[in-house]
Amino acid sequence: MERRQDIALGAIFAALGLYAAVKAAAYSGASGTYPMVLGLVLAGFGLLVAVKAALRGQAMPRPLTDHTGRVIVTVTAGAIYLALVPVLGFYTASALVVVALPAALGFRKPVYLVLTAAVFVAIVWSVFSIVLEKPLPTEFWQTF
Amino acid sequence: MDIVTQILSGVFAVGPVAAMIGASILGVFIGALPGLNPVMAIALLLPLTYSMEPLVALGMVAGIYNGSMYGGAIPAILLRIPGTPAAIATTFDGYPMAQRGEASRALKIACWSSALGGTASAIALMTIGPILARATLAFGPAEYFWIAMFGMASIGVLVGSDAVKGLMAATLGLLLGTVGLDQLSGAARFTFDQVWLLSGLDLIVILVGLYALPPVIALAEAADLKGLSAAQLKLEPAKVPWSEVRSFIPTWVRSSLIGIGVGILPGAGGNIAAFLSYNAAKSASKDPDSFGKGNPAGVAAAECGNNADNAASMIPALTLGIPGNVIAALVLGALLIHGLQPGPQLFHQNPGLVGGFMVQMLLTSLLILAVGGAAATKVFAQVQRLPGVLLVPTILVLMAVGVYVINGRVVDLWIMFAAGLAGYVFEKVNVPLAPIVLGLILGPMAEQNVRRALLISRGDITELVTRPISAVIALATLGLILFPIVAAFSRRRRAAAAKR
Repeated sequence: MERRQDIALGAIFAALGLYAAVKAAAYSGASGTYPMVLGLVLAGFGLLVAVKAALRGQAMPRPLTDHTGRVIVTVTAGAIYLALVPVLGFYTASALVVVALPAALGFRKPVYLVLTAAVFVAIVWSVFSIVLEKPLPTEFWQTF
Repeated sequence: MDIVTQILSGVFAVGPVAAMIGASILGVFIGALPGLNPVMAIALLLPLTYSMEPLVALGMVAGIYNGSMYGGAIPAILLRIPGTPAAIATTFDGYPMAQRGEASRALKIACWSSALGGTASAIALMTIGPILARATLAFGPAEYFWIAMFGMASIGVLVGSDAVKGLMAATLGLLLGTVGLDQLSGAARFTFDQVWLLSGLDLIVILVGLYALPPVIALAEAADLKGLSAAQLKLEPAKVPWSEVRSFIPTWVRSSLIGIGVGILPGAGGNIAAFLSYNAAKSASKDPDSFGKGNPAGVAAAECGNNADNAASMIPALTLGIPGNVIAALVLGALLIHGLQPGPQLFHQNPGLVGGFMVQMLLTSLLILAVGGAAATKVFAQVQRLPGVLLVPTILVLMAVGVYVINGRVVDLWIMFAAGLAGYVFEKVNVPLAPIVLGLILGPMAEQNVRRALLISRGDITELVTRPISAVIALATLGLILFPIVAAFSRRRRAAAAKR
């Protein structure tokens, strides 16, 4: 048990539970009772985790990532990708992330990357747009 | 007789058959790729099943589940890298066999053992399931409520290393399940004036985030830029003589029984079944020292045990609504997509569908023999030549497309992303994810039934615990929650006594 992390974790859950309980108390009748009880129980478990960690936890290092730099790159690229989907269109944004993310993670074979992106996007397009006929965010060049 | 005909005609239609075959092949591929796992694959698959027939969707789930549990043995044997957590025990003897040049032989044994374990498990599901379902006919709202609570408590306490964190995660799941319009009164809860929240948090959006994003980040952290060379994956053909096959029979019987037993227990998974089966085979062996040094019986025990867990984990899921493991929870999610509420009433209301799924679990276990043969395994092993770093964005794109097509809303992409990041952190701080998912699935059922029970009893809360069956389940739930506390006390007392 890592003391500081578990105290923080327990405190976050306790706060979340208390917030939910207070919010639910404002709902009328039985609609509010059930979530209010759940909020209080969640707060109770959160407190228990925090108290347990404070009393018996040890300051043992428990890394939250195995490689912080790569996690940041991946999460940032993922967030940018999701932000670009409605702007550039689904397939354009997807092709970009398939090329850019491995390159950002150190993959240095551009031809391989572009081929992978082309083949993969073609497969996704065939399955979702042709076979399943699912509507996806429109490509930016189709709006001109 | 009518129901049998209905089940068989449903399962053997073109769509379900094609789904089972395709998904079994895909499952072996997924299992063979370290970093991908059946949970993630099924989570990614579920959004696509909205427009499918239920038996097509369930056939795909069954194929991916059984196929990937065998596929995990391929890198475990060739590279000592378990393709799935359940294949860890397979590395103990599989890899030493591969080093001796017996990789093909080990893979054949793994293939047969997986198929047999899965088949035994499916037969157990088909026989025990209906009996257990019949016993639930006497259930009313109070019993349904306690069944949901028992499921939550069992998953919360038994999954993960810290029971309090497990129960905390379960409560979070139940709370998340209350978001949206209250189904009984129509009141909006935790919607923050957002129209898209009125229908509640979409289970599949949360599932995809929780179970697909953490492995994607882990793949990125590993940053495998090369994949494996063709030389590393070269397999020589091998034969397994009939005398050797016969020698495995006691191991297969023992491991199947262990796997089925573990599968029925909520919270335990294929990895526990594999370890227990492996240890049992070692204990029963005349030459236990040869285990860990390339004894084929070790491979047979581990693979038979982990596949015997598969269908058995569906027994509590399909009859009581309590999933035996995370994949069983995903199956309940798949049923929800098709408007089928998991719980004791599922078996009685949809016997054709539940029965069909049971048959599909059996057929996809047998399909491993066809798609996991020596030649096919050679092909599947080649997927490991793919640099792992390329899988990172491709899975991310599949997550995005899968989630977007559910409701056609960009906001779901962000919900999925947030759930995934939370899942990644939760895993790091030992908060299990399965109880959250189960809370989302069983939460509405628990709330509706407790309120129904109270309406029937005109607000008398004792009604929840005075009926004999509900009292028993309530006591069992309480016992389950108190069990880790009592165990911790007794451990401390023993430690203090030992010090004295």
